[in-house]
Amino acid sequence: MPKRSHHGTQDLEQPSKRRRLAGARLDRLSDLSDELLLRILSFLSTGTLVLCRRVSTRLKAVATDSQLWKAAYYNRFVRPRALRLPGISDSAKHLLFSSKSSKWLDEEYLVRRGETLDWMKQYKLRHNWTRGSCAVSEISISDLPPAPPLLLRYHNGIVFTLDSSDGLRAWSSKERRELLATSVIEPHTKDDLPTSMAVDESNDPQFANQDIRISIGFHDGRFCIYSFQPDVRRFARMYEHARSSIGRLSAMTLRWPYLTTMSETRQLSIYKFAEVLGSSREYSQLAPPRLLSSLKSHTTSKPLSLSMKITHHAVVASIAYTLPTYFSGYSVGIQEVRLSLDGDIVESRLATADHGVFQPLHAHPQAVGESSTSPNGTNARDFGSFSTPTSLSYTHPYLLVAHPDNTLTLYLVTSSLEKLAISPGSRLWGHTSSVSGAHVGGRGRAVSVSCRGGEMRVWELEGGVSSLGNRKRLLNGELSIRVKTDRDLVQTNQNSLESTESDRGFGLGLSWADRVEDSSVTRGWVGFDDENVVVLKELAEGAQALVVYDFT
Amino acid sequence: MAAADSTEKPFVLIETSDGIEIRVDREVAERSVLIKNLLEDLGPEAAEQGAIPIPNVNEAVMRKVLEWCEQHKKDPPAAADDDADNRKKTTDIDEWDQKFMQVDQEMLFEIILAANYLDIKALLDVGCKTVANMIKGKSPDEIRKTFNIQNDFTPEEEDQIRRENEWAEDR
Repeated sequence: MPKRSHHGTQDLEQPSKRRRLAGARLDRLSDLSDELLLRILSFLSTGTLVLCRRVSTRLKAVATDSQLWKAAYYNRFVRPRALRLPGISDSAKHLLFSSKSSKWLDEEYLVRRGETLDWMKQYKLRHNWTRGSCAVSEISISDLPPAPPLLLRYHNGIVFTLDSSDGLRAWSSKERRELLATSVIEPHTKDDLPTSMAVDESNDPQFANQDIRISIGFHDGRFCIYSFQPDVRRFARMYEHARSSIGRLSAMTLRWPYLTTMSETRQLSIYKFAEVLGSSREYSQLAPPRLLSSLKSHTTSKPLSLSMKITHHAVVASIAYTLPTYFSGYSVGIQEVRLSLDGDIVESRLATADHGVFQPLHAHPQAVGESSTSPNGTNARDFGSFSTPTSLSYTHPYLLVAHPDNTLTLYLVTSSLEKLAISPGSRLWGHTSSVSGAHVGGRGRAVSVSCRGGEMRVWELEGGVSSLGNRKRLLNGELSIRVKTDRDLVQTNQNSLESTESDRGFGLGLSWADRVEDSSVTRGWVGFDDENVVVLKELAEGAQALVVYDFT
Repeated sequence: MAAADSTEKPFVLIETSDGIEIRVDREVAERSVLIKNLLEDLGPEAAEQGAIPIPNVNEAVMRKVLEWCEQHKKDPPAAADDDADNRKKTTDIDEWDQKFMQVDQEMLFEIILAANYLDIKALLDVGCKTVANMIKGKSPDEIRKTFNIQNDFTPEEEDQIRRENEWAEDR
């Protein structure tokens, strides 16, 4: 005891006095090594870090350092996920930031990109997603209503559109947002229209400039394979399959070298193309595919989602669909066809969602009620939706269905060698008007739009909503965020304008124009990747535009 | 706790950059990983034969550092994997350390440099947290004033960064 105070008194004052004169005007902070400066900044929040970027060139360089932002990214976006996911949550409580990629869950692809990745940019991107803030731009794609309605696919920054008048087109959703390539689709007859389209899902999104294969199905049962070649900005038609008697191809999915098509006559066909030797990019170079299997599908009633996955031993094609049920209006089912790689059918199996337990969150109507009543006053509370679902999206294990009654239903699918099962659905509230489209992607991120165009929500559904944590978030309305854009402000102004005009009872022209604007509906088509969400919007008189929500 | 025990305690002599020899309990000195490793390399007797030269730290700073070591001599040693990645990200500093760090900036940075050189992680963190707390809640201009940092941006550059920052700044 006395010893400590002895030390203490002895040396407290001397140093400051002695060196004050020399040091007072020195910038000691900037004199520190990068390493020490980084260590100091590592104790600061991201909000303070960006402020430091404004102080001086030196501080800016250090405060932008990827090491800091990588740690911030991990602590904010990866670690909480680890805590949420069942199974690893216990060990994850002590999980602090680590550069070991094994601790990054399925985001280790980011870590592997390592040195070249701008982590501040990456952090900002995620930050914007969670806040729902983004910049919006529109790409006008047609002044006229297309016939038949546009087919769209979004793949790694490129939107593919297809209709009979303008043909197949590719649009960039990044940077310049322009038309990249166009190709005329020549119908054989007047009625021979494209009816379905698929983009090769085997493409690795990490390689931006590779060719992308597209398959197009037609009314007469024929299909084509095109290749989009980004470097030379053109489409090349690689293959055309003869027309067939199976009728209009209503859905297809392409995962090279496999192609699955579904016809209106419920014919499900799985083809395999021969591996291409060399890499000829010229027209019509592909040999005809081999038909591996053809069988009756359980249903063709829309909306449905056709998908395919390839494992080491099998090709699995799945059809996720909605089906009317006696008790709960609509439910979902999945048909899965499992083939060996050589094309022998291993099995075909069916599963439908469990019912009876279909009362997920209704025990707390006061917490979730407000926005879930549909406009005409019917209360869709106690059973499933009685109205036909508007859209369905399936990315294993998430199956998301959009309803016209302002809600979405999330199902979790278990698909293993032993079993195929669908969990009971969980209702998701949040939208304030009919949901026209929804799309769910890999890590449980989903985007939904309501048909009145104005409202788009981003959902983080990883792990489903059965876990306690997510359930709480759902009840608190934290599971999704409404995307806010600079345009929302304008819209609010317009609405108030409209109401004052109608109050006064004149100015029909203006009111009318507003109505028209308001009636611009999103056509239920929505796609997204890590950076952008793309929504198809139909304007007055059928003109169409792609709306790009940019989160970078 | 008998007085006899404490006189028996092994000690070391440290020679500072300005040529002063400081006698300190070995246990206290070994909070410094640098000194600890040095002593291990030299063997048990060597420590008592001559002073260990620490050419980067002057007497005033060394006494201050040793004061901290004395206070914290009973702390558990830092975990082996205590690297920059693994620390808890909090700027909480315990009361004693806060008082201890109430020194002028010159001394504060000297302590940080000494802790870094002597490899005393916990003290280094206390120092860095203290600086971090001095940055927190300040505007860029206030940060410049606090640390006497020269603003070397052109107005255009400043504007540019402000725009880049819009998404994240605490407001």
